[in-house]
Amino acid sequence: MTGKVAVPATAKRKRRKNIEQGISNVEAKVPNMVNTNDYLLRVAGLKTYFPVKKGLLQRTIGYVKAVDGISFGIQAGQTLGLVGESGCGKTTVARSIVRLVPATEGSVVFDQTDVLSADRVKLRELRRQISLIFQDPFGSLNPRMTVGNIIGESLKVQKKAAGSELIERVTALLSKVGLSPDHINRYPHEFSGGQRQRISVARALALEPKLVICDEPVSALDVSIQSQILNLLKDLQDEFGLTFLFIAHDLAVVEFFCDIVAVMYMGKIVERAAKEELYRNPLHPYTRALMSSIPQVERDPSPSRRGRRTTLGGEVPSALNPPAGCAFHPRCPLAEGVCLKQMPVLEEKGDYEGHFVACWKCQKKLIIDNG
Amino acid sequence: MSKQTQAKSNWGTSYGELVWREFAKSRLSIVCLSFIVFLFAVAILAPFLANDKPFVIRIDGQLHFPIFRNLGASDYCIFLAAVVGCSQLLLIKRNHRHVDPSIRGAALWRQICISSSIILIGVILLFVFVPRRLDATDYKAMVACRQATDAIFAPIPYGYARTNLKLREQPPSWEHLLGTDDVGSDTLCRLIHGSRISLSVGFVAVGISTVIGILVGAILGYFGGKVDFIGMRIVEIMMAIPAFFLIITIVAFFARSLLNIMIIIGITSWTGNARFIRAEFFKLRKQDFVQAAVSLGLPLRSILFRHMLPNGIAPVLVNATFGIAGAIFIEAALSFLGFGVAPPTPSWGQMLSLGVSTTGRFLWWLTLFPGLAIFFTVLAYNLVGEALRDAIDPKLRTR
Amino acid sequence: MNDNGTLLSVEDISTHFFTEEGVVKAVQDVSFAIMKGQTFALVGESGCGKSVTALSIMRLVPEPQGKIVSGEIVFEGKKLLSLSEKGMRQIRGNEIAMIFQEPMTSLNPVYTVGNQIVEAIKLHQKKSTSQAWSDAVEMLRRVGISDPQQRVREYPHQMSGGMRQRIMIAMAVSCEPVLLIADEPTTALDVTIQAQILDLLDRLQEQNGMSILLITHDLGVVAERADDVAVMYASRIVEVAESRQLFAEPLHPYTQGLLESLPRLGITAGRLQTISGTVPEPLHFPAGCKFHPRCPVGREDRRCQTVEPKLREVRPGRCVACWYARDRRQRAEDRRQSPESAAVDEG
Ligand SMILES: Nc1ncnc2c1ncn2[C@@H]1O[C@H](COP(=O)(O)OP(=O)(O)OP(=O)(O)O)[C@@H](O)[C@H]1O
Ligand SMILES: Nc1ncnc2c1ncn2[C@@H]1O[C@H](COP(=O)(O)OP(=O)(O)O)[C@@H](O)[C@H]1O
Ligand code: SF4
Ligand code: SF4
Ligand SMILES: [Mg+2]
Ligand SMILES: [Mg+2]
Repeated sequence: MTGKVAVPATAKRKRRKNIEQGISNVEAKVPNMVNTNDYLLRVAGLKTYFPVKKGLLQRTIGYVKAVDGISFGIQAGQTLGLVGESGCGKTTVARSIVRLVPATEGSVVFDQTDVLSADRVKLRELRRQISLIFQDPFGSLNPRMTVGNIIGESLKVQKKAAGSELIERVTALLSKVGLSPDHINRYPHEFSGGQRQRISVARALALEPKLVICDEPVSALDVSIQSQILNLLKDLQDEFGLTFLFIAHDLAVVEFFCDIVAVMYMGKIVERAAKEELYRNPLHPYTRALMSSIPQVERDPSPSRRGRRTTLGGEVPSALNPPAGCAFHPRCPLAEGVCLKQMPVLEEKGDYEGHFVACWKCQKKLIIDNG
Repeated sequence: MSKQTQAKSNWGTSYGELVWREFAKSRLSIVCLSFIVFLFAVAILAPFLANDKPFVIRIDGQLHFPIFRNLGASDYCIFLAAVVGCSQLLLIKRNHRHVDPSIRGAALWRQICISSSIILIGVILLFVFVPRRLDATDYKAMVACRQATDAIFAPIPYGYARTNLKLREQPPSWEHLLGTDDVGSDTLCRLIHGSRISLSVGFVAVGISTVIGILVGAILGYFGGKVDFIGMRIVEIMMAIPAFFLIITIVAFFARSLLNIMIIIGITSWTGNARFIRAEFFKLRKQDFVQAAVSLGLPLRSILFRHMLPNGIAPVLVNATFGIAGAIFIEAALSFLGFGVAPPTPSWGQMLSLGVSTTGRFLWWLTLFPGLAIFFTVLAYNLVGEALRDAIDPKLRTR
Repeated sequence: MNDNGTLLSVEDISTHFFTEEGVVKAVQDVSFAIMKGQTFALVGESGCGKSVTALSIMRLVPEPQGKIVSGEIVFEGKKLLSLSEKGMRQIRGNEIAMIFQEPMTSLNPVYTVGNQIVEAIKLHQKKSTSQAWSDAVEMLRRVGISDPQQRVREYPHQMSGGMRQRIMIAMAVSCEPVLLIADEPTTALDVTIQAQILDLLDRLQEQNGMSILLITHDLGVVAERADDVAVMYASRIVEVAESRQLFAEPLHPYTQGLLESLPRLGITAGRLQTISGTVPEPLHFPAGCKFHPRCPVGREDRRCQTVEPKLREVRPGRCVACWYARDRRQRAEDRRQSPESAAVDEG
């Protein structure tokens, strides 16, 4: 990978066209990459719509566009963070990738296999390589099964291990995630939230997946437990060279954990960049508002930050009938003319390579008054 | 040994144990459960409790065992089922002590398979090989005229089919503790044998309705969509039909056999179960642990039966308890109206109907005692169902 | 403690729940004072007793299991615990108002929001119905709901979480309470909405001069919004201080651990500091200092393991419940020099 490569104008135009054709700009960015196959997971133009039904005959009266055309790629060993507020479609992205919900359009390529068109056998094989960690530590473990069964079931079903070997593997996994081997015969209800999340992690790692999708793995946990789980995930990543798709709503957690960050708003990625770049130079008004809304603990005894922030007005519009043009325009301090009419596309802007923003008002060198 | 106890202290409490603890907290529910167990014991041992054949009798210097000679295939089947059932319960209890929780499920499954095949094979063999006997010998008369000696009779030495027209419609006395009916049969004896009918109707009918309910409900709940839409309309239609009159009509057309009644009650009362299971599966399908199972690439069989069914079956078990009470009640009502099992087979409802005799006299003992039996049995099942429902409270489930 | 500026003082309150499994000591010897016009924050992890403390102040601890077993609460000179239920009802909603964590369930779904606000207004103030309705519209406007005339006639399910929380706030402040207890008012909300709600509370506080008891588990919120802070751990307050001082120099090992384990903007690599272990369950609190199994000092120290430290003023304005209340660097030094002398650190 060289440093900054000047992209000729024609290439840019071509890229734009590609986007319009629904091909991901990840693919379009090929010239900058050593090899497309670097990507362990490539998501291109993914859309997941949920029909909204009404009445006795369950007529479809519209669609919730939970995920509305998003694209990204994750290289092996990398961590991509997906942030956004509640209901913006993060979980749906995760579930669409492993086909827990059917995607409406787009493509998901994992390790050179198309996930969305895989048949049952292939899909099962894929699901072994992609595992999920869920947000709610209380809902994600079967209350009727012992910890040993929860962790070992997939190994048993896949005939990877049985009998005493199975017990050995499960015990090893338990100690890997910081639980005692004694816990193998207990039931989930006997554990605290943090411990359950450790069990989830052990279950996710049992099949030695290549990609782990973590759907807000720490948001339901106590503050003092959060950091334990984050450290655990990080250690495991170092040990097994895992690739993460890390979903969170807390920008501070994402900054700590991820290499690349994508910010979502109403089913779309509005900004995507390498972590350092995004946090140093957030371009999209929404990202900026998000950053300024995070209450921060400042250790030095400076006057409190009250009133220094730029609070975002309004609320996330209903997903059933999103606003025309840029979905963010009703809340955007910069919205004007074109924003109300035309949807901005995710384009490479900013000073550094790989900083994508979907906003009409973000120019290459954007200077927005900080308020 | 010490290692064993060491390990056991690390065993978790399973959901079943939690429910049992919660259930056992109430004394009333334990009393009711004991009553039901007692009823079962009475029903199983009925031929030994009330029989006009003696256990042992010496005729012409030779020992005979008429009770045992007179046991039919169905009696043996009941004994077999009881023995297998009890041993299973003991085994489950033993497993809870000695088998670690992670493999208990598989052990239980194996047990159920083995025991049900034993029972099935046993039943076939018994019906093929145990001859039907009709022993009309009046052993009591033989004892009375000294043809036989050393007779040991059952505690209630009357047969349920034995008539004695001289002793018709007797009120309770020391001879006949609960009186006699219109053909002079002992009421207590018929009550004891009648418990077999009531309990087996409850059990088999509910067994049938539970199996149908679970299958239909699971299909509707898991697949959802159009299948569910059409299925639910059928279920609703089934529910709209007044089951009792359907049963009366059908019974009127077909033979009045116990089996028919059980089957008919079974296939008319599964709708509730189907709805329960469907609702549970709907909820469960969206829950994270089921999604996690799917995302781990587990096969459908495992998802449905290891992950979903054990979590969704609780309300059906509760419903089954109420269902048994309901079935007993329906059978009683059918028999009362004369659509039940044909005499001389005794049934509580049928006995109840004899309370007003053909001569117009009101025979209170024929109304009161079977009535009480029905009342307490139904009440006990309902209370156990209530207690079970409380014990399964969702509060407990999420913890 | 009892200077003129004190609005509410909570003195050694203990609230227990008598359950089948045993006595849950949800709140133990909690004391703090809230000044007029200030925001006092109660911060701690889930289950540490924040909500029960709030309910104790309102005297709404669920009967018959829960009981305030000792202590006194003095509000504007009145001893709340010795008031009659009728007297308490006059204070509730009128002088002390409360908003809850769950905006989805704390409004009645079968009445319009207007109905509910009007009911609250008429309960405490002698106003005609039409006056109350126009008040309700005015309240909605004040809490930043656009088109209040229309919204006042809508049902809770027609509104988003943030709007419902605004309506809860509107109801709570409609009678101009002098103390508003906000129990995790923003936990169920998104950060951008959280900022709006907190700004709204700030603004209302400025207008009415009311005091706020802000209950939260988010240290960031506390750092930005509170004047004074009490940190709770396992049913007890372990540290009370002015907010700025607390964050600049936390003295209790738990507070220090929490602050260090918090992922903050700007921390981009390496590992986070952690507090080992888990929060103890209320039925199985450890002996001695309840934090000792997780405390770097307490794990080795006899006194920590046997005697529970009381909240005491270790230096002006700083109350800490810890035998070794120092800042972290100092404490390490103390212990390195002489483990015995470190124990003689009272004063
Ligand atoms: N099965 C479904 N049917 C209909 N709509 C759905 C379904 N699942 C999600 N949605 C809708 O899709 C949108 C995105 O939901 P999603 O769960 O992906 O959000 P999220 O970003 O994960 O939020 P959170 O932070 O609360 O977890 C929401 O508007 C939600 O209501
Ligand atoms: N009604 C109740 N019955 C029994 N225990 C309760 C009850 N309410 C709260 N508790 C217990 O009291 C402790 C403190 O709870 P709470 O104040 O709600 O915590 P939080 O700090 O999260 O608000 C917890 O351990 C909780 O389980
Ligand atoms: S496109 Fe317009 S409305 Fe959308 S974020 Fe950019 S400036 Fe705001
Ligand atoms: S008293 Fe001891 S155990 Fe408790 S916080 Fe202080 S040093 Fe730690
Ligand atoms: Mg989500
Ligand atoms: Mg609380």
